[in-house]
Amino acid sequence: MVPIKYNVRNLVVRKSTTAAAAFGLALVVFVFACALMLANGIERTLGRAASPDVVVVLRKGSDTEMTSTIEDKHVNLVLAQAAQIGASKKPVGVGEILAVVLLDKVGANGVSNVTVRGVTEDVLAFRPSAKIVEGRAANPGSDEVIIGKGLKGRFTGMTIGQSFELKKNRPMKVVGVFDDDGSAYESEVWADVHIVKQSFGRGSTVTSVRVRLDSASKFDAFKMLVEGDRQLGLVAMREADYVEKQSQATGIMLKILGGMIAFFFGVGAMIGATITMNAQVAGRSREIGTLRALGFSKGSILFSFLIESLVLSLAGGLVGAIAAVGMKAVKITMLNMGTFTEIVFGFEPTAPIIVSAVVLSAFMGLVGGFLPAVRAARVSPVEAMRG
Amino acid sequence: MSTETTKERESDPNRDVPPDAAVAADEPKPYRKNASPEKGKTIIDMSAVTKTFFRGKEPLTVLDGLSLAIEEGAFEALMGPSGSGKSTLLNLIAGLDRPTSGKATVAGHDIGAMSDGELAKFRARHIGFIFQSYNLMPVLTARENVELPLLLTKLSGAERKKRAETALRVTGLENRMDHYPRQLSGGQEQRVAIARAIVHDPTILVCDEPTGDLDRKSADDILELLTKLNVDFKKTILMVTHDPAAAERATVTRHLNKGKLE
Repeated sequence: MVPIKYNVRNLVVRKSTTAAAAFGLALVVFVFACALMLANGIERTLGRAASPDVVVVLRKGSDTEMTSTIEDKHVNLVLAQAAQIGASKKPVGVGEILAVVLLDKVGANGVSNVTVRGVTEDVLAFRPSAKIVEGRAANPGSDEVIIGKGLKGRFTGMTIGQSFELKKNRPMKVVGVFDDDGSAYESEVWADVHIVKQSFGRGSTVTSVRVRLDSASKFDAFKMLVEGDRQLGLVAMREADYVEKQSQATGIMLKILGGMIAFFFGVGAMIGATITMNAQVAGRSREIGTLRALGFSKGSILFSFLIESLVLSLAGGLVGAIAAVGMKAVKITMLNMGTFTEIVFGFEPTAPIIVSAVVLSAFMGLVGGFLPAVRAARVSPVEAMRG
Repeated sequence: MSTETTKERESDPNRDVPPDAAVAADEPKPYRKNASPEKGKTIIDMSAVTKTFFRGKEPLTVLDGLSLAIEEGAFEALMGPSGSGKSTLLNLIAGLDRPTSGKATVAGHDIGAMSDGELAKFRARHIGFIFQSYNLMPVLTARENVELPLLLTKLSGAERKKRAETALRVTGLENRMDHYPRQLSGGQEQRVAIARAIVHDPTILVCDEPTGDLDRKSADDILELLTKLNVDFKKTILMVTHDPAAAERATVTRHLNKGKLE
């Protein structure tokens, strides 16, 4: 076998062409890994908002809380049904209303939708993962709100002590910031449910009811009970399934977008690798001929140049993957395609994402380097004799 | 008309004992003196060999029914004008190419009957190449270049290194083992190439204008080294050259013209 150091040193010697080809491959790996990390980030962000034993109840036919309405009188009925099946923790559930306000972005032109959740006073007891990290909890029935830490400083008025308008002439004061382990709730404003109802003229309705059952296994019985009451016209789903549905659209969009960009970039990068390796073969035909004359087989020459292309692409791939992991520090806001509201999330790398990105670079290297390697293997040993 | 010239040479009385007697039979023996060839044994036998190339549809006969026999241990020079077929003949003997017709037998192998893979194995085992432009790998050190032919054997890394160093010592480059070709003079590069050609103890050394790119002094040094390899180490050497001084060193000089031996 031709020693690998022969290939590696040849790449090092031709620094600029190697760097140009490796950069193209790095870019593809970077884009590919970032798209997957972003899709993963949004899935995890939304997924963190889900508890296994929590059930979301919506109006039948509604996919999201935004389009659902449930009368107040039915909320108590649902809570009673939950208690009947088995929901001993207090509070058993919460009826909440979801609204959207348009707020000015800080540091950027334009406005964006922000989710306002009208919550009951025991919201923090119902969601134990949410904790006040700055300021204090809002007083029930007041114009005070707490905000998720993902919103802090991103929109006008989203700082403790400042106000924003829920509706015209209806200022709400921010008194606290909460943390919820990076979940989608961190992109929400939590206000008093009655104030939100009044402000948005929702009368005596909420948009969803969440109940916490004693165990996830009681879900089927609860679902049967809720959905069995035709008069209610409600539908029950596990919070995890609900959240997955919400993140699906955005996640799929990101993956398709990332995949398409990676594909087109990838074709370009592969052509780049082919051109680079072709130049290597053309410039080294006498060296290759000499190796053949010395007795190295066609197969070992083919293998040697595939290895060289692989080393080139892996170098690019690793640079791209490391740069992508560096994106972990970046948080971005994006429109959640499920709710059409702003959601703050980050690039979340996982070992499989990084491994698949590096494998992609290896694949591009092998495919891009194949034809030049075949060309190298076909160099006649007589080339060694040409002066 | 034959213009073969033969010169007598004394053989070296101080022949070394092989340093490593335990080498497996299928592996190349360590580079050594005292590989005394069988007197009179024909190592290269060409019989009515023709080589025709096609330029488009037009055939071009470069070797025309050439017959030739070279004995083991010979040092032969092949001269002739450009286009006379010297390199083509050398390529056939070295197993780089096959004859169009006729039979070329080298070290007991029928060159024309072998596949590409078999020819590669044949070259790895029997042929040591010395090229006009040295043909060293620029990214490998002298030692690494010399080790290349040994990568096709089953020798261990340590053994390969040892043998490469021995070959470089024989060519007088013990102080240049870790130098890259660009750090060496032309003469030194050719010495590395010679070390590479002998490291696997080939049956025949094939030299294509070995002094063509060198000044007179370096050329003489290289020719001295080739003579030493022939006399002391009993290597069969076949050398294509334009240089009459180089041909002088050979025991036999053959002249080729228009694909035929004169």
